[in-house]
Amino acid sequence: MSPGRVVVVGNGMAAVRLVESLVARGVDAGITVLGEESVAPYNRILLSAVLEGTHRADAITLRSPQWYADHGVDLRLGARVVDVHRDRREVELADRSRVRYDRLVLATGSIPTLPPIRGLVRPDGRLHERVHAFRSLADCTRLLGALPAARQAVVVGGGLLGLQVARALSIRGIATEIVEGGEHLLRGHVEPRAGAMLRRSLERLGTTVYTGARAVRLTEDGLRLDNGVTLDTDLVVLAAGGRPSINLARRCGLATRRGIVVDDTLTSVDDERIHAVGDCAEHGRRTSGFVPPAWEQADLLAARLTGGSATYAGHRPVARLRATGLDVAVLGDLAESGEVVQVANPVTGSLRRLVVRDGVIVAATLVGDLSRIGLITQAYDRGTVLGPHEPGGLLMGVAAERSGPADLPDDAEVCACAGVSAGRIRGCTSLADVRERTRATTGCGGCTDAVTTLLGARVGG
Amino acid sequence: MTDTHCPYCSLQCGMTLTRRGPALEVSARSFPVNDGALCRKGWTATGLRGSRERLTTPLVRDRATGELTAVGWDDALDRIAGRLAALRAEHGSDANAVFGGGGLTNEKAYLLGKLARVALGTSQIDYNGRWCMSSAASAANQAFGIDRGLPFPLADIERTDVLVLVGSNLAETMPPAARHLDRLRERGGRLVVIDPRRTPTAERADLFLQPVPGTDLPLALGVLHLLDAAGAVDEAYVASRTTGFEEVRRSAAAWWPERVERVTGIEAGQVRELAALLGGTRKAMVLTARGAEQHAQGTATVLAWIDVALALGLPGRPDAGYGCLTGQGNGQGGREHGQKADQLPGYRSITDRADRVHVARVWGVTPEEIPGPGRSAYELLTALGTPGGPRSLLVFGSNIVVSAPNALAVTERLAALDLLVVADIVMSETAAMADVVLPVTQWAEETGTMTNLEGRVILREQAVSPPEGVRSDLDVIAGLASRLAAPGDWPTEPEEVFAELCAASTGGRADYAGISYRRIRAENGVFWPCPSASHPGTPRMFADSFAHPDGRARFVPVEHHGPAEGVSAAYPIHLTTGRVLAQYQSGAQTRRIRELPDEGAFVELHPLLATRIGVRDGEPVLVRTARGELKAPARVVATIRPDTVFVPFHWVGANRLTNDALDPVSRMPEFKVCACAVSG
Repeated sequence: MSPGRVVVVGNGMAAVRLVESLVARGVDAGITVLGEESVAPYNRILLSAVLEGTHRADAITLRSPQWYADHGVDLRLGARVVDVHRDRREVELADRSRVRYDRLVLATGSIPTLPPIRGLVRPDGRLHERVHAFRSLADCTRLLGALPAARQAVVVGGGLLGLQVARALSIRGIATEIVEGGEHLLRGHVEPRAGAMLRRSLERLGTTVYTGARAVRLTEDGLRLDNGVTLDTDLVVLAAGGRPSINLARRCGLATRRGIVVDDTLTSVDDERIHAVGDCAEHGRRTSGFVPPAWEQADLLAARLTGGSATYAGHRPVARLRATGLDVAVLGDLAESGEVVQVANPVTGSLRRLVVRDGVIVAATLVGDLSRIGLITQAYDRGTVLGPHEPGGLLMGVAAERSGPADLPDDAEVCACAGVSAGRIRGCTSLADVRERTRATTGCGGCTDAVTTLLGARVGG
Repeated sequence: MTDTHCPYCSLQCGMTLTRRGPALEVSARSFPVNDGALCRKGWTATGLRGSRERLTTPLVRDRATGELTAVGWDDALDRIAGRLAALRAEHGSDANAVFGGGGLTNEKAYLLGKLARVALGTSQIDYNGRWCMSSAASAANQAFGIDRGLPFPLADIERTDVLVLVGSNLAETMPPAARHLDRLRERGGRLVVIDPRRTPTAERADLFLQPVPGTDLPLALGVLHLLDAAGAVDEAYVASRTTGFEEVRRSAAAWWPERVERVTGIEAGQVRELAALLGGTRKAMVLTARGAEQHAQGTATVLAWIDVALALGLPGRPDAGYGCLTGQGNGQGGREHGQKADQLPGYRSITDRADRVHVARVWGVTPEEIPGPGRSAYELLTALGTPGGPRSLLVFGSNIVVSAPNALAVTERLAALDLLVVADIVMSETAAMADVVLPVTQWAEETGTMTNLEGRVILREQAVSPPEGVRSDLDVIAGLASRLAAPGDWPTEPEEVFAELCAASTGGRADYAGISYRRIRAENGVFWPCPSASHPGTPRMFADSFAHPDGRARFVPVEHHGPAEGVSAAYPIHLTTGRVLAQYQSGAQTRRIRELPDEGAFVELHPLLATRIGVRDGEPVLVRTARGELKAPARVVATIRPDTVFVPFHWVGANRLTNDALDPVSRMPEFKVCACAVSG
C-alpha cells in the first residue's frame, strides 16, 4: 500500500529511522523530509563520544544526502517549518513556501531546557561566549573548538547527558565540575544511594560534584551557585535536560500535554493524518527521550503507513550511560515497586539492584559492575518469569566448581578426543606411555597440562 | 599400508590404514591439517568394518506387509528404474527427485548431478550441504565472487595476530584443528571465541563473548561501528579493492555498543575490547561456522562479518582474511559439482547460457536438455508427495529423518512418496522408511576425492575390498543410468569419473582442470582453482583481485531482523543445537561404532534455569517447541547462558524441535535458534 505524500518534520534519529523503514518496505516516491539542521542526519546520542574523542565526527552520520536521492526521498536541509495548515493539508516553511501532505509525521524531537541562570544569554539573544548548549552537532563542534583555550569547565546538570559530557571533558584534560540542582546525581533514574556511589566514582576520577546546588548567575568571576560558591570556569556546558518540542503541534491545534498526544497507532488524537514519533510523542501519558522506543515507533508507523495493523504498546526503558570509566545501566522506571534484591560493594563502588514483581524483573540499577548486564537486560526485555533464587543468582553469578585435575576421580574423563579417564592416565608412567597406550593428548592437545599434572601426582604420591 | 584420510569431518585428517590379518588398523599420518593428530572418531573409523550392522544386500519393501525382502541387484535396479520411468511418463520429469550429501566424494556428487539432469531429466536435486555451510557460500559469492571455505591453508591461522571464531566449536567438532589455535597463542596471537556456550574452544580464548543465539549479526555491525569511529578502517584498501562501503558504514553508525549490548546480551565493554583487538592489527582473521550460519539471516550474518574483514583490509593479505570452517567431509566439493539445485559442475550456474553449453558438451547432450534450477533441500522435501511435487526420491549419503529441520513434518512427506530409495551403508532411520534399500561401499572400500575445508582436493584411497554384495554408489548410478537409457558415458572407475568431472569444471569458478590423482598423491593435495596441469594450484586467494568481473570485493549492507521465532511467554527459552565430540552428523555411522560413547541426546542447561524448573543433573527434561517435543536427561552446566538450552542433533529428536524458517538467499533452515519451553 502506498502511503501517498508523506511529509516528515524533523531529521533526527526517529525521522531517519522512519524513512529507512519506509524505503525498506518499498516506498520509493512521495516522501519529503524537512530538517531544520543543515547537515545530514547523524547519531545524536554519540555526540558525547565525539566530544570524548572515541568517535570521529564523520563516523556518526547515519545517511548521506546521496542516499536520500538514491531512494527517491526529497531531503530538504535547513528547512524550518513554521506552521501546519491542517484544513489544506500543507506545511508552511520559514521561507513561506508550502508542502502538501497526505500524511504528516512530526518527529521534532526535544529542545534543551535553558536553566534560569542570569548572564547565560547575551542581550542579542545568543548564548554567552563561554556558555555551550549540547544538543546538536553544531553545538558539539563549537564546544570542541573552544577546548584548546579552556582549562576548566562546569557542566550544569547531573543527568545522563551531564555525566557523559563531564567525563568527556575530563578525558580531554579539562578540569571539570558538575552542578546538579537535585540532591543526587541521575536523580531521574536512580535512588540516592546509587547517586552517591556515582558521585564517589566521579570524584575518584577527578571530577567535583555539587549537588543540591543551583547555578544562579554567570559573571566575569565565574558561575555563582545558590550556596554562595563561585566556580571559576572557562566553559559552562548546559545539560539540564530537555522537553519535547511541541510548539508546532500546539500552534496547529493538536492535543499536547508534555508531548504530542498520540494513540496506539501513533496518530494524533485530533487528526488522523498526523502522526508523531520519538521524543516529541506522548503515548500512554509517557514521553521517552530514548532512541530504542523512537525507533520502535518509527518502524511501527512505517508498517502502518504501508498497510500494516500493528499497534504500539509502550516501551521498556533502558538508560545506559556512555562514559569511559563510569558504568551505569538503569532498566525500567525509578517508581517501579516490587521486591528488591541487591548487592552493594561500596569499596569497589558497585551497586546492583533488581526490582522483581511476580518473578519478573521490572526495574534494575547497575552501577560500577555491568558484568551481568547481558543476562539481566535480556530477562527484563523479555519479561522472563524467574524462579525465587534466580534474581540473586543473576546478580552474583554461579560459582563454577573447579578442582584441580589431581583431585579428579578415576572415572572422570580427562581427554575428550580419545575418551580417556583420569584412572587410565594414572596407570601410565610417562607422557610417551600415555600417548602410546591411551592416545590421550594426541587429538586437540587441550588435555596435556591435566595429563602432566596427573602423572606428576602419581609420581609424587 | 594405505595412506588416506578420515571418513568424517571437513578437516579430512591424514591417516594410514594397515591390514593386520582380518583387522584394519588406523594410525595417524602427518598431513598439514592435522599434523599427526586424530580424534576418537578417526581412531575408531574402521569400527563398521565387518559389523553386523552393515547392509550387504538390496532390500525391497512390500508395502502391504511393510516387510523388507532381500533381492538381487539386477532385480532391485530394474524395479527402481521401472518405477522412475513410469513416474516420469505419467507425471513429467520433475516427478523424480534426488537428494545427495556433503559426505559423498566429488566423483559421486558429480555423477549424481549428472544422473538427475541427464538420466532422469529432473531439476529436482539438492543435498544436505544446504544445511551445512550454504549461508557462508552465498555470502562469499556475493562478497568475493567465489566461494571457497577457507581462502588460505588452515595452518595459516597460526601466524595471524587476532583470530575471531564466530560460532565455531572446533575443539570438539574437529579436535586436531585446535592444535593450530595453541600454536597461534604460543606465538603471541590472540584468540576470540563468540558462542552462546563456553565450549572447550572458548576455554582456549583470550576473549570470549557469549551472545544470545541469533545475534552475531548486530555484534559484527557493532564492531564495524567502533572500527569506523576510531578511524581504524583501512581506507586505502577500501578505496582500491572494494565497492559499496559507504552504505555499510552508514548502517553501522546505528549500532553503537550499548545498543549492541541490549540486543546481543554482550556487555558493551566486551564489544569495545573486540574492536580494539581487531583495530590494533593488520593481521587478523575472522572465521565463521554453523553457529553464525544456520539462521534465517545466516547469509546476512556472514556478510556482516565479511564487511568487518573488508573494512580492515584483511582478505588477500597474508595470514589474514575471512573464511568459513566447513562442516561435512566434502561440504566444499559437494557444493561444487552439481548436486545443488542451482548449480552445474565446476561451481557453474545452471541458469548461465555459457555454463550450460560447456557442461552439455561434456555430457553429450544439448544445452536445452539440461533442466533449470530446482527446489532447495528443505523446499524439495516439503514438496514430496504433494500435488505438483516429486513422487519419488533417491537418497544418497544423507539421513534426512534425523537431520532435517522440523523433522516430524519432513518424515510425513517421505511417507507420502510413491517411491523412496535409499543408498546407505547401514539401516539408517531414513533407510528404514525406504521402499528400496541399496547397500553401498564406505570410505576405505572405495577410492575418491574430497575437497576439504581449505579447498584442497585430496584423495581417499581404497584399502580393503568391500563386503560381498555391496556396490559403490558410482556403480548404482551407472546401473540406473543404463537402465534409463541415458545418453553419454557412465564410468564407474573413480579416476575416470574424476577426469570427466575435471573436464566439466574446466573454466568454471571451481576449476579442477589441472588436477589428477597423480598430482594429489605427489603434492599433499591440490588447491583449486587449478586450471592446467602446469598450474601449481591456489593455496591462497585474493592477493591481487577478487572474482567479480571488476576484480573488487563487494561490501553488502545488511539489517538485523532477529530470529524468525522469538521467545514468548509460552516458549520463553532459546534453543540451540550442535554436535558433541564423539558423534558425527546424524550418527548413522558413529552411533554404531562400539568404542564411541552413545549416551543419547541430552539437554544442556544452566543451574539457574535448572533450579527454576526443579531439575537436577541427569533427571529428565521435557523440551517443547511449536513443532515437537523431546525428553532427555538434563546436563546442568554453568557454561551456557541461563536463557538458552542446547540439544545435540545426532539423535532422533533434536530436529523435531528446530524451526524450518529459511534464509531468503541460501535457503538454510534456522537450526541454531528457536523458542522452546522446558520443564521437569
